[in-house]
Amino acid sequence: MDNQTSSSTLDSGDLAAPLKIKDDWQVLSPVAIFYFAVSVFKHLFSNIIYLIPAIAVSYKSVLEHPFIWLPAILAAFTLLTLFAFVSFKVYRYRLTEDNIEIRSGIFSKKHLNLPFSRVQNVKIEQPIYYRFTGHACLQLDTAGSAKNEAKLVAIKLDFAQQLKARIQNQVQKDEGDINLENLSADPAASLSGSESNKAHQEIVLNQRNLSDLVIHGITSNRIWIFLGGLAPFYNNIFDSIGEWITSLGIDLTELFSLQTHSLLEVGLYALSLTMLVMLVMVSFSVIGAIISFYGYTLSKLDDKYIRRSGLFTKHEVSMGLSRLQMVVQKQDWLDVLLKRINLKFEQSNSFSKNLSASASSSKIIVPSIKPHECQALIDDAYPDNSLNALVGNDAFSPISKRFIFRNIVYVLMPLWLIITSSTLMNGKFMISALLSVLFVGLCGLVVLRWKRWGIAKDQNFVYLRKGLIGVDYYCFPTYKLQQTQFKQNLLMKRRQLATVKFVLASGSLTVPMIDEKLAYEFIDKGLYQVESSQKSWM
Amino acid sequence: MLESNFTNATVPIEQLPAILNLNKQSLSEKYAPLNRLLNLGLTLFICVIAMALYFQPFFDLPKDFLNFLPFVIFAVAILGFLITWFSYARDQVKSYTLRELDLHYTSGLFFRKVVSQPITRIQHIELKRGPIERKAGLATLQVFSAGGEMHTFEIPGLPVDTAQQLRQFILQHKDVVKHG
Repeated sequence: MDNQTSSSTLDSGDLAAPLKIKDDWQVLSPVAIFYFAVSVFKHLFSNIIYLIPAIAVSYKSVLEHPFIWLPAILAAFTLLTLFAFVSFKVYRYRLTEDNIEIRSGIFSKKHLNLPFSRVQNVKIEQPIYYRFTGHACLQLDTAGSAKNEAKLVAIKLDFAQQLKARIQNQVQKDEGDINLENLSADPAASLSGSESNKAHQEIVLNQRNLSDLVIHGITSNRIWIFLGGLAPFYNNIFDSIGEWITSLGIDLTELFSLQTHSLLEVGLYALSLTMLVMLVMVSFSVIGAIISFYGYTLSKLDDKYIRRSGLFTKHEVSMGLSRLQMVVQKQDWLDVLLKRINLKFEQSNSFSKNLSASASSSKIIVPSIKPHECQALIDDAYPDNSLNALVGNDAFSPISKRFIFRNIVYVLMPLWLIITSSTLMNGKFMISALLSVLFVGLCGLVVLRWKRWGIAKDQNFVYLRKGLIGVDYYCFPTYKLQQTQFKQNLLMKRRQLATVKFVLASGSLTVPMIDEKLAYEFIDKGLYQVESSQKSWM
Repeated sequence: MLESNFTNATVPIEQLPAILNLNKQSLSEKYAPLNRLLNLGLTLFICVIAMALYFQPFFDLPKDFLNFLPFVIFAVAILGFLITWFSYARDQVKSYTLRELDLHYTSGLFFRKVVSQPITRIQHIELKRGPIERKAGLATLQVFSAGGEMHTFEIPGLPVDTAQQLRQFILQHKDVVKHG
């Protein structure tokens, strides 16, 4: 990536010209046809996936009639190409000094007009098929809805970088920030100003290599999402796996039958089978992690964080420090064992509403880093935070022990009593014993949950700790608060406890059952800081 | 950013304005009775429909269903009255407070809740008036922040004039003018 930044500074002289002069409608590079085709194909494919079982069942009879499916596929292919070509033909964009306009759409025409100053987020995306020609997609997000985002589909990578720098400078200028690399009003000067940007070289804060990604794949349970998506096809999948195994000459019922094998043998078979399944799942998860985070770098240019990653499609997400709402440090139980941390820099929710895929979301996540790296990154973002000291001294105020009492006595106990008494009455002692074990286990989890809860604050930040077996830490500057909520029911009032909810642009955080006085203090202090600081949340 | 008159002295917690002793303003007097009327009306409506179904001679209904129906009507009636009574009590304790720099809305009988919205974080405001609210001269003030739609700050049952004054106050507030 370094060579790109350097090349962009070299080319800036040439590129200033098209940026400035050409404010008439422009056509994309023909590579865009590819992009349109692929995106239509992807769109179709996400629907076709539901048809796969049907196709799988009837594919033999389909294969017998090539004169039907061959033309059908050909026709579909032609249609796709035609569609992509027309999409490319009707797509026009125009850049003016501080404004971008995009005209697109075949049947329903769309004309998008976006002033640079309204752009919240600039993303550069490079799908694998663009890598040969050196093109990229530039995506501009606005604070409004995720629908009216602008996407320049195929422009040269250098140009995309230039444009990005220009838009971000414009945004900064409009916000009236203290911009050190201050640009004069003339946009041409701002571009040649990138020469002086050498003083503000990009600093690489963090890089992830393959082994880190493997660890991330193992620890993050991405696989469950995958399995959830497959849920409708479980029957088909298991059936076909069963058939396949029998075709290999393995008889499962025979293998697991206790008549022909000893208990130990069956147990070993079961164990190895589970291990095998786990192995497959974990490797899927690892592959997923590698696809989305391959070549991960997190770097910093002035006060902007830039994340680059991706094996097939390269993503580049950048976020200004002022947009950062909250830092989240997540550790699952496996992470605790391996001493790794997932760090998330969260920004406003409205940007990433329909982008759930981890690689393309505008959230900046740093996967599976070591504790000291994590601390360094948090300190870099929030230099005067005291999370480390708080964690070290265990200075978090715990929540009330009534939390355990409430959850066990009011929630778990009645359930357990009802179910065990009904099973006991039916004489199913084994089940009731199992249930009791489960009940004790859940009670243990409640205690663990209680133990993890904690809240703390210092001059500028609020810190939250929660988790079950793993531990998550949340840290946000108090002035980023959007809204606070104080909740208390009658029982809590008697014990002088209260629940506090902090609403931030990146989501809300709730702390249950802390001391009433503490709750009031958090809210009053929080409101005071929001209203007295006069700092913008963006 | 760095102004010469900038100060940042530590403020003792006791001296901060506290949400514990808010100067609460009650909603419009019409709000609670109106809601009670609506709830009662809805209950009656469901009961009447069910009764009409029970007594109508036009088409046959399954016997089990007919045997079951009176109990349902009773249950709906009792539940409806309970809910009406309860929500009337709840409507009466709803209140709001406007301070110089923030808005607060207090509600809840058993589950008390105070929502606080700093004015500087407000993105936009809406006055919502359904047909019944229009008839009664009431309005609902909705305040949106970047916290998302889930966390829309809402004060129901305001007299229209008050609601419009509130809106005007917020729109002209220096914090909103500055950051809007």
